[in-house]
Amino acid sequence: MAVISDVVVQPFGKEVYVNRRVAASVFVSLLLIPIGAFSQVDPGVRGTVGSDTAGHPLNSVNSDNPATILSFFNDGKSRFQEVDSVSHGSIMGELGAGLGPRYNSRSCAACHAQPAVGGSSPAVNPQFADATADGATNTIPSFITLSGPVREARFVFFTDGAGNPITTSPNGGVEDLYTIAGRSDAGLCTAAAISQPNFTSAVAHNNVIFRIPTPVFGAGLLENIEETTLLNFQASTVGNPFGVAGTFNHNGNDGTISRFGWKAQNKSLEIFSGEAYNVEMGVSNELFTQERPLPEEDMASGLPTPCKINATPEDHTNFNTTAVLTPSDAVQFAMFMRLLEAPKQSKKFPGGETSITNGEALFKSIGCNACHTQIFSQSPSAITPGLGGTPLFGQWSDLEIHHMGSGLADNVSQGTAGGDQFRTAPLWGLGQRIFFLHDGRTSDMVVAVQEHFSSGSEANTTKLNFDALTTPQKQDIINFLRSL
Amino acid sequence: MPLLIRRSISLVFIVWFCLAISASQGSNPHRAGGVIPKGEILVKGAVPAASDSTTPLPEDGKVVDGRYRNDYFGLVYPIPDKWSEQAAGPPPSDSGSYVLEQLALVDREQRVKAHVLITAQDLFFSALPVANATELIAALRAGLAPLYEIEREPDEVKIAGRTFARFRYKSAVAGLHWRILSTDVRCHAVTFTFTGTDTEALDDAERGLRDISLNPDAPSCVAGYASGENVLERIDPHFSARRYNTIPVRVIIDREGKVKHIHLLSAFLDQSDTIIAALRQWHFKPYLRDGRAAEVETGLVFGTPRTILRLPGK
Ligand code: HEC
Ligand code: HEC
Repeated sequence: MAVISDVVVQPFGKEVYVNRRVAASVFVSLLLIPIGAFSQVDPGVRGTVGSDTAGHPLNSVNSDNPATILSFFNDGKSRFQEVDSVSHGSIMGELGAGLGPRYNSRSCAACHAQPAVGGSSPAVNPQFADATADGATNTIPSFITLSGPVREARFVFFTDGAGNPITTSPNGGVEDLYTIAGRSDAGLCTAAAISQPNFTSAVAHNNVIFRIPTPVFGAGLLENIEETTLLNFQASTVGNPFGVAGTFNHNGNDGTISRFGWKAQNKSLEIFSGEAYNVEMGVSNELFTQERPLPEEDMASGLPTPCKINATPEDHTNFNTTAVLTPSDAVQFAMFMRLLEAPKQSKKFPGGETSITNGEALFKSIGCNACHTQIFSQSPSAITPGLGGTPLFGQWSDLEIHHMGSGLADNVSQGTAGGDQFRTAPLWGLGQRIFFLHDGRTSDMVVAVQEHFSSGSEANTTKLNFDALTTPQKQDIINFLRSL
Repeated sequence: MPLLIRRSISLVFIVWFCLAISASQGSNPHRAGGVIPKGEILVKGAVPAASDSTTPLPEDGKVVDGRYRNDYFGLVYPIPDKWSEQAAGPPPSDSGSYVLEQLALVDREQRVKAHVLITAQDLFFSALPVANATELIAALRAGLAPLYEIEREPDEVKIAGRTFARFRYKSAVAGLHWRILSTDVRCHAVTFTFTGTDTEALDDAERGLRDISLNPDAPSCVAGYASGENVLERIDPHFSARRYNTIPVRVIIDREGKVKHIHLLSAFLDQSDTIIAALRQWHFKPYLRDGRAAEVETGLVFGTPRTILRLPGK
């Protein structure tokens, strides 16, 4: 999956960074002049070398401190990987239950896969096979491709009867790609009862935006950062020479800082678990108790009756069983994610130690770390020692939301985050990612950096600093990013 | 030859068609039946708002005839030769930080040689307790990471008849130099940050500051005036939704003690409407300057108050 990029110099003299495959065709058809022979390139997805692999539990969990915690981690991990069918035992090999009636994929690990269970979008998009799994009869939307990123779709605005967006009615809710209609275990929930959202129309009206999975390695460490630590960092950036001034998204109920998701829209891993189980897989649970209709259905008559197949909540606390099996799936998903170790940086790959060290110093000098900062955890953890204390863990994010400009805006508002505000993406684990930015628009690290510049972005000055560097200096930054 | 003509005709047609589409979109702000335009921020979060459209606002500066002009600060800054305006910055933050303008000198290879960022920090709303430009620069100095080398410790310099706090440092690894000059205007620290690899270009641009003017036609600004015994009548805004955002508001109070102008730096639209309606009913003790009633500009915070934290390195 290594993706290499070149710089094409267009006739009007502006640099454009493109994927090499695209570059080749553009080159032939438009007869553009020189390809920059000495431009920085993304060396591509970093391979795993020894202990650099992500997906392990924290050390203290690995040494079973406190006793039995490792068995909770392992159980959570296997539940995270379970493929769901509609009802228990209805399909061989599909251990989970409660799928649908609407869904985006069939297991947490299908989407959170690269480079290990808990990660981000894999090289082969599981949503391609999900469309027709177990007899389902879904049409694959144009934006879902076999080698493209896993995508969650949201409609920007509600539409009139003819599919025209009503720009005074923001929608922003997730539109599940698929329904269970046609599956061998779907019962009366047939294609006559339920249909997919009209993605063709949404694409034609440019009324659909995408989100790719955020990896959850080290998520427990993010969860455990004190609010004061975050506020202190924010205060320390007052007067910074990069024009950066972010804010925090807050949980609407208790007003505390929320921190998970592309817009920092969610407070905790457990809430995210419950919501993801409900939204991505259609499984009702103790946190999100009903089967989830589409936003439009919710405003009309809800889900069709024949499609409400199981008693709810489908996932719940299990009684009369072992300690480890007692918690619900949602609780155990959260426990697994919380106990995952942070991704480890490679000291040497790609480009060698000198280039990576230099890249880090450059990254900091030009102001990338006015947003992408490392913060120390300061609160002791009651769960396991590995989550507390003050270890150095480089999440490379202030967990603030920042204006990223018209180029990245997705026009979805979540909490206090407006259409162009996003949580500073934590950069740990970046080296082994295949797709970048909230919608997975690129696999090229260089493009991911370029996209920070557009009208209204807080990162514009930093990007000008980046453009003041020499090609080898830029290459060092890219190597540093790929070492993470 | 005929083929070529046919091609250019179709090209002309395509161009005309695109123009026609963009024109029709421009004339129809609601775009009913339309396609959502790319690259536009349509769904807004907290944004600036004001009670009238005539009083100058800090965020309203623009480049006209080779000068950056900002009526709120009474600022006119002649753009150095060959420097060009860059993409606009973000809206004002809920901590009173403004990106006013960004200009850069870019060479033929698209390499940035030098750039200047013009910012303003509203001193009523900063997340750090800084009272003026000198303290802002001191905070920057105190928090400066060790990877930078100081080229000149903070000091003060007179430029165009004003006092500027000045600070210079560099990054050896990046080959970049920072020259920062900040001055107090209307209880804001207005800061020019020159950055670049090309020190001659930086020298030139910095010299250009001698030709600026910074003469706001403004009332006195007084921190905390709209509080305590100065408030004679007060109607609290009642918000329809709980949001936990901080809403910094600047007001100008007239000689009779009535609110003459309201500027919300960062608020949701419903919040702006509610706050403007409430503040219009407030009544203050007239502000006295040399024993005579005078207009005054001050700040208030609605929504969630900001926690003011320690200075870095202290
Ligand atoms: C269809 C693919 C898909 C499936 C299945 C899926 N997710 Fe996700 N996950 C996503 C996307 C997309 C996001 C980013 C959502 C956003 O922020 O808008 C995400 C984000 C998350 C996050 C936030 C992490 C962070 O730091 O921001 C957590 C936690 C999470 N998912 C947990 C789960 C769990 C638990 C499951 C199984 C119940 C699950 N996900 C199933 C696609 C998926
Ligand atoms: C103003 C804050 C800010 C600054 C400054 C900033 N970034 Fe980012 N960065 C973000 C945000 C927010 C995102 C997520 C944007 C999105 O997905 O739409 C992001 C995303 C990224 C990504 C993609 C991460 C992912 O998960 O896909 C990379 C790579 C990155 N930044 C590198 C950099 C580099 C290099 C610099 C310095 C030149 C920089 N950033 C400066 C805020 C910032």
